[in-house]
Amino acid sequence: MKIYTYGIIDAHDRIRDEAILGLEGARIYTIYYLDIGIVVSELEQQTRYIEDNILEHERVVEKLMEYFTVLPMRFLTVFDRKEDIIQMLKDYYRDFKKNLKRLRNKVEFGVKVIWPGDKVREEIASAYTKQYELPIANNSAGAKFIQEKFKEYKIDKKYEEEANRQIEVIDKFFCEFASEKKLEKHLNKSLLLNAYYLIDKEKQSTFKEGFERLKGAASGFNYLFSGPWPPYNFIILNKKSYSLKA
Amino acid sequence: MDRIIETNSSEMFIEEREKSQGTIPKRINTDSENVEKGLAKLVLTLIELLRKLMERQAMRRIEADSLSDGEIERIGDTFMKLENKMAELKEIFGLSDEDLNLNLGPLGDLM
Repeated sequence: MKIYTYGIIDAHDRIRDEAILGLEGARIYTIYYLDIGIVVSELEQQTRYIEDNILEHERVVEKLMEYFTVLPMRFLTVFDRKEDIIQMLKDYYRDFKKNLKRLRNKVEFGVKVIWPGDKVREEIASAYTKQYELPIANNSAGAKFIQEKFKEYKIDKKYEEEANRQIEVIDKFFCEFASEKKLEKHLNKSLLLNAYYLIDKEKQSTFKEGFERLKGAASGFNYLFSGPWPPYNFIILNKKSYSLKA
Repeated sequence: MDRIIETNSSEMFIEEREKSQGTIPKRINTDSENVEKGLAKLVLTLIELLRKLMERQAMRRIEADSLSDGEIERIGDTFMKLENKMAELKEIFGLSDEDLNLNLGPLGDLM
């Protein structure tokens, strides 16, 4: 039998009113170390990566999140013995404490934006004029090659500037309400931005208002807005061997 | 606050998601032909990356006016030959440009 883990909490946070069931319908409980705890349940069988189980895991984490601050464990973080768990809590105690403090009462929202990157690039390319041509007299194959490469380089540069400009505009809508952010910029020619924002629980509705304003302003863009989530993307660990991100 | 998931185009985001997941192979091919091709792909991807970095560095220097006309032409010649050589190698190993562009998930496309 093994021990399945869901997330790290403050030790004084206890669920009183209901029994929460985790994987295999097992009741969850907390293992403590000093003033932190880890929410776990017992696992009879080997659990493989099955979609149902990941939803179960997520459900437990979110239920906990309704009550208190949780640092969610990656799906399928399983231990053989309680002693191993205690050792892990000991090793990461400072990290967990810092994260619990920083993330208390905060939730994560995600914003993804798809833009017409190809079209933007085409427009930039057609606006490229002879003024950018290199003043090389020679008409050799090498000279022509470098002219072409330079043109592409200038277009790429303008394209990146435009992408960054758009990202700044979008980011500005959300930064007012976010205490932290994580931006993944122009991952490919259509996905302009994948952003995560850390918001105080009380500011959630004003944050959503920011999103409504953005919707109105951005035409030709496609967006995906989601939240609140547990703060998966804002956990900072100094010890590298364990990852808490789901 | 209840969970919100709002989008004006779910198909586009599903497609994006599938694109990034498709690049992670579910099984590793270990038969000898695939191992060779896999190795060629890795090596050529690295060469391609270096080549593109060198090109970009040259572009910056041209932009900063730190190269003479003669130097610019010679660079053009060298890079052209490199690009042609790479095209030959790609053909020999049956690899396309897309094959050599790795998707690094949260870090985006390599090139």
